[in-house]
Amino acid sequence: MTPAPVPVRLDGVVKRYGHRTVLDHVSGEVLPGITGLVGPNGAGKSTLVRAILGLVRLAAGRVLVEGHDPAREPHVVRRLVGVVPEDECAVPGLAAVETVRYAARLCGLPATEALRRAHEVLDWCDAGQERYRPVETLSVGMRQKVAFAAAIVHDPRLVILDEPTNGLDPIERRAMLGRLTTLAHDHGKTILLSTHVLPDVQAICDRVIVLAAGQVRLEGTLADLTRPVVPQLRLELDAAVDEVAARLTALGIPVTRTGSLSLQLPAQHAAGLDRVWRATREAGAVVRALEPVQERFEDVFLQALAAQPQEAPRAAS
Amino acid sequence: MPLHDVGYREWQGARLGPWSAAAAIATTGIRLAWTSRWLRRAVFLAWSPALFFAASFFAFEQAIDEGRIESLQERAARGRNLDGIGLLGTILADTLGRSEQPSSRPALSREAETAATRRLVWSRLLLAFMRAPQAVLLAVVVGLVAPTLISRDLRAKAWLVYFTRPVGRVHYIAGKLAVLATIVAAVTVLPALALWMAGVLVSPSVWVIAETWDLPLKVIAASIALAIPTVLLALAYSSLTAESRIASFAWFATWAACWIAHSSLVTADLAAATAPEAAAVADAADIDDDEWRPPPQRINWLARAAGLDTTIDRWSWVSPYHAIGVIQAWIFGVETRPQAVVPPAIALASVSVAAALVLAWRVAAPMRA
Repeated sequence: MTPAPVPVRLDGVVKRYGHRTVLDHVSGEVLPGITGLVGPNGAGKSTLVRAILGLVRLAAGRVLVEGHDPAREPHVVRRLVGVVPEDECAVPGLAAVETVRYAARLCGLPATEALRRAHEVLDWCDAGQERYRPVETLSVGMRQKVAFAAAIVHDPRLVILDEPTNGLDPIERRAMLGRLTTLAHDHGKTILLSTHVLPDVQAICDRVIVLAAGQVRLEGTLADLTRPVVPQLRLELDAAVDEVAARLTALGIPVTRTGSLSLQLPAQHAAGLDRVWRATREAGAVVRALEPVQERFEDVFLQALAAQPQEAPRAAS
Repeated sequence: MPLHDVGYREWQGARLGPWSAAAAIATTGIRLAWTSRWLRRAVFLAWSPALFFAASFFAFEQAIDEGRIESLQERAARGRNLDGIGLLGTILADTLGRSEQPSSRPALSREAETAATRRLVWSRLLLAFMRAPQAVLLAVVVGLVAPTLISRDLRAKAWLVYFTRPVGRVHYIAGKLAVLATIVAAVTVLPALALWMAGVLVSPSVWVIAETWDLPLKVIAASIALAIPTVLLALAYSSLTAESRIASFAWFATWAACWIAHSSLVTADLAAATAPEAAAVADAADIDDDEWRPPPQRINWLARAAGLDTTIDRWSWVSPYHAIGVIQAWIFGVETRPQAVVPPAIALASVSVAAALVLAWRVAAPMRA
């Protein structure tokens, strides 16, 4: 059986505007699930999205979307992709539902079905009766929802979103992230989320690509990237932290106190967890949590940006 | 959660080809354009000249029905200009006057003579209708619609709506062209076809259709000749700016400036041709040169539009209006001289190609930014 093609494969992509190199030998893969594309302003994220859509001519390298080259088969690729652009863009004069219907028709859905599907998707996006108002009169958050609905109305296999939570209040933001998770995990869509909001990335992304100065600085699963270089375990107790720490130290397990009720210990001692349990029990404390320590993604991101471009990107194993 | 929210469902249906996107662009563009009150007024106004021309068709067919065509012919032969029925009289005088040349044409039966006269008169009436009022009205209507078609997309960044979806430049431009083509049809083709149909209905026999079957085709061909350069030029202007006002100004300025330039050149030619004669007259009458004026033109605008001015307009290529008029006259068989037709044809083809290239280049410009 032939394996399913990789949703997006980037192979040494180079894009220059004049003498300025915007994408410098970018390679990587966007796999099924949710992939975060993060980077500072001017990192080349939007250009990379345009390259995936075949909107820019590359100086070198190749992009493949489900095995199709967007430079040669742009229409095939764009039928597979739904895009929420960073810039607000809409045809003036059209109501929200007409905008979504128009998007569906541009993607080849028949007129009647396009209208039915537009209503269905707007319902799912919780657009309410606002759908009958012209898009230019809607709030920023509502326009984001309409843009998202227009991007998915034709049921694309790959959804690319550029700052989709801009202008959304916390409740709507959570709902939007929930919709992305539903699309990815319940409907098998591949989602590429380009954003500056790192908590969003940490909340829903399976994989991350960090782009800076046109180069990939980090790529891998979020779990791998946030794992410390020296694996650690975090032990959370309900009481007697000092006594537990003393007992573990006496057993030869170096511990660090990281909070009023938490300790951190090297993960190589995980094999001797029975000693940890015993020391805790003898100290009269209860273990509330014992879990691997993860770095904050924000710290990982900042470290990646601080690294020199010529340093090899840290690819998670 | 709304009561009718069925959640996200995958689309299992078939998808249409990319030309369905062009159709969607066209229908949506027409609907948006039609929301303009000024456009609706202009389109309704564009039908009003048809009433005047319909009266001419009726008067001509009535003259045939009452057997008055011979008396008109005699009056035409005597040099009367048949002023009583306006433009129709002028056309009849010209048409019937020319038919009074037995050496150049074989003798025809009365029915054949009537049919030949009818073809000539109908052709000239339709040509005058398309050249004089409709071409000007079309310039106004296109000037109302076209400037916003692409510039508004550029301003609202709506090009992303199209080019992140399976819509190519060709489909986008075709959709926008279709919007204008529909408006051209509403302003020129449909009234002209209605006029032809009115002629058929007021004629004594439905067999008139067999005699004039090619005129509707010529109307369509003349409209295409009118539409291609005007629509491409208007869209090219629209694609050059995000401000539709600037595109509108450029559009109207082109028509006005070219018309003025053409009139100036023709007047200069006329003055140059008549200057020696006028100078001689002035010498004879001992009148100062300052008091000399070029002789007034005897052929009015409508009659000129009907092709009654037989002089070759060597500056027609300067003005889109006049160049299109010559091509339309050629389509209707009124103008057949190559030296009259070729220069405007080359000018219009050049303008069309240049406008199409600008359009193709500019439509993709935002993606290069």
